[in-house]
This record gives sequence, structure tokens and C-alpha cells, in this order.
Amino acid sequence: MTPLERHCRWLLRAYPAWYRRKRAEEMLGTLLEASAPGRRWPSFHDTRGLIIGGLRVRGVLVWCLSMLWAALGVLGAGYDFMLSLHVPEASYLGVQPWVGESGVIITAAGLGALAWVLLTIPVLVAGLVRLYRRGRRAGPAAGVAAVAWSGAWIAGLVLMYQVGNWHPTAPAIWAGNCNEGQGCSLAGYRHAVVSWGELAVVAGWLALGAAMALILARPMRGLDLSDASSRSSGEANI
Amino acid sequence: MREPTYFVPASLLDGPLHGYAIIRRTEELSDGQVRLATGTLYTALDRLAAEGYVELVREETVNGRVRRCYGLTSSGAGALRAEATRMAQAARLVTDRGRHLKAGGSARKARPA
Repeated sequence: MTPLERHCRWLLRAYPAWYRRKRAEEMLGTLLEASAPGRRWPSFHDTRGLIIGGLRVRGVLVWCLSMLWAALGVLGAGYDFMLSLHVPEASYLGVQPWVGESGVIITAAGLGALAWVLLTIPVLVAGLVRLYRRGRRAGPAAGVAAVAWSGAWIAGLVLMYQVGNWHPTAPAIWAGNCNEGQGCSLAGYRHAVVSWGELAVVAGWLALGAAMALILARPMRGLDLSDASSRSSGEANI
Repeated sequence: MREPTYFVPASLLDGPLHGYAIIRRTEELSDGQVRLATGTLYTALDRLAAEGYVELVREETVNGRVRRCYGLTSSGAGALRAEATRMAQAARLVTDRGRHLKAGGSARKARPA
């Protein structure tokens, strides 16, 4: 294997494995033909094309948006778990802080909640558009993926609703159980249930993020190409 | 249509070609203006195939490596022609008016020619 071929193979790893199985050998041939003799690396132009092409096939933008949404869900539920372990204080900027919590964490929690809300609709639309675009000729499989995506999105809403439901919003404060400087009595809600419930929601968000990543990682349909993996692995030994 | 998705089917008008041949033909047709990167070429081929504009014509083995030739489908040829007509109309909007401006001599910012 020449250095050029080795470097080209390395750059082709920008593409996902399922795509490489079908296309890598053919693209490698084209890259080698397109490179001037004696070169060790493909041209800058070709290198950039491979990286952009690989990111596009992987749907990196939609993937990043969706994973950010799921990560904010994890952090939000985790914040509520922390909250359920502390003595709550009066609400501040829409966030329920605990006694002695730093302003930085309160602000970050508020911004995170806002970002989650703003991302909710774009994540649904971007995912559906991506699944539609690449599965237009896939028939029922594209429909299944779209339904799975919508289902994951609804599950996200349900999880967030449950976080809000279990959120230790101060029944204690409303009941007048709060004393200046001492926080509030926890008698107003079932502390342990809330803690474990919020931890379960954290786990739920992690599972949801993994499910969304799996749906997006499904191979794209387009040309009906034969799988070249058996052939290429046979040649690699020669 | 974006530039590669226009030039790739245009390069297939005279018959099926394989990957590198498409790159060379595109460069020829555009007088060296459009030099497709390999990644860009296959992104365009994927998209065109998903639309049903381009299809796999034959597969051969060259230097122990698979080489695939792609051809334009009839719907691809139709879409290409429609796009060319649209661009010609769009170009005429400017070229016709440009001549008129030059005749009037009012184009102060005209390139020194």
C-alpha cells in the first residue's frame, strides 16, 4: 500500500462504516486517479471534500442539535435531582434554587431550560426532514424511522413534563413552612420519591439520547450498490 | 440545482462515465472552472440517484478495485433540460439589460475592458 493510498483510506474514515462498505473502494480508486503521481496526500481540495462529504452523510448538524437537546434534558433532570436533595428556597428567574446555591448555577439552569425549550421544535423538524430526505425511496422503512423519531420526541416532552411534575416546587413555601434564613420544611412533599424519580428521568433522557442517535445513524438509501466489504477484505490479504 | 448537481448530469449527456471520468469531463465542460472534489462528486451522485436522475449502469474491476459507471436516466435528462432552460431565461434577464446599459454609456462602474 502506497502512502497516498494509506492516507486516502484514513481520510475516508470521515464517512460512516455502512457507507464505506459500499463506496470506499470506488472512492479510493477515484481519489488515486485524481491525485498527481508522487503525492503522499490527496490535494487540499479533495481532503476538504471528503471531510465535508463524510459529515454530511453522517448528518452531523441534526445529530448535534438532537444530542444537545437530549444532553440538556439529562442536565435538567439532574438539576432537579440535586434540588430534591437540598432545602428549597423561593423561586428566582423561573428557577427553583436551594438555600445557599450559587448564582452561577441558578443562571446556568435557567439558560439551559430556555435552550431546551427553544430547541424542542427545531429538533423535531430537522430530524424528520433528514429522515425524509435520505429515505424518500426507502418506502415503509422511512415511515418507521419518522414514527420512531416522533415517538422519541414525544417521550422527551413526557420526561420533561414529569421533571416539572416532581419538581420540588415549594408546597412547603405555599404552606407557609418557610422561615427566614432557615429555608423551608420538607414536610410538604415526599422527598425520597422525588429523588429517585428524578434519577429515573435522568436515565430516561440518557436512553432517549441513545435511541435518537441510533435512529439518525440508520444507513441512507440511494443507489443500490453491492456491498464491497467481502471483496475488499479478500484483497487486503494479497 | 447546485453547481455539482448540475454539472454531473451534464457530463453524462454523451453517455455513462465512471467517477474520475466525470470529474475530468466536468472540468472540460466548464473550461476548468469547476473542479469537483471526490467527496463532492459522490455526494452529488447520491443525491441525483435518490431523485432517480442518475443510475448505476455497470460495474467493472480495474486494478483489483471496483469501478462503477453511472448514466443519466430519462427523468434526469428531462430535469437537466428544464434547469438549463430556467437558467437561460434567468441569464437573459441580465444579458439583455446589460447590453442596453452599455449602449447608454451610463455604467460608470463598468470593468475597464
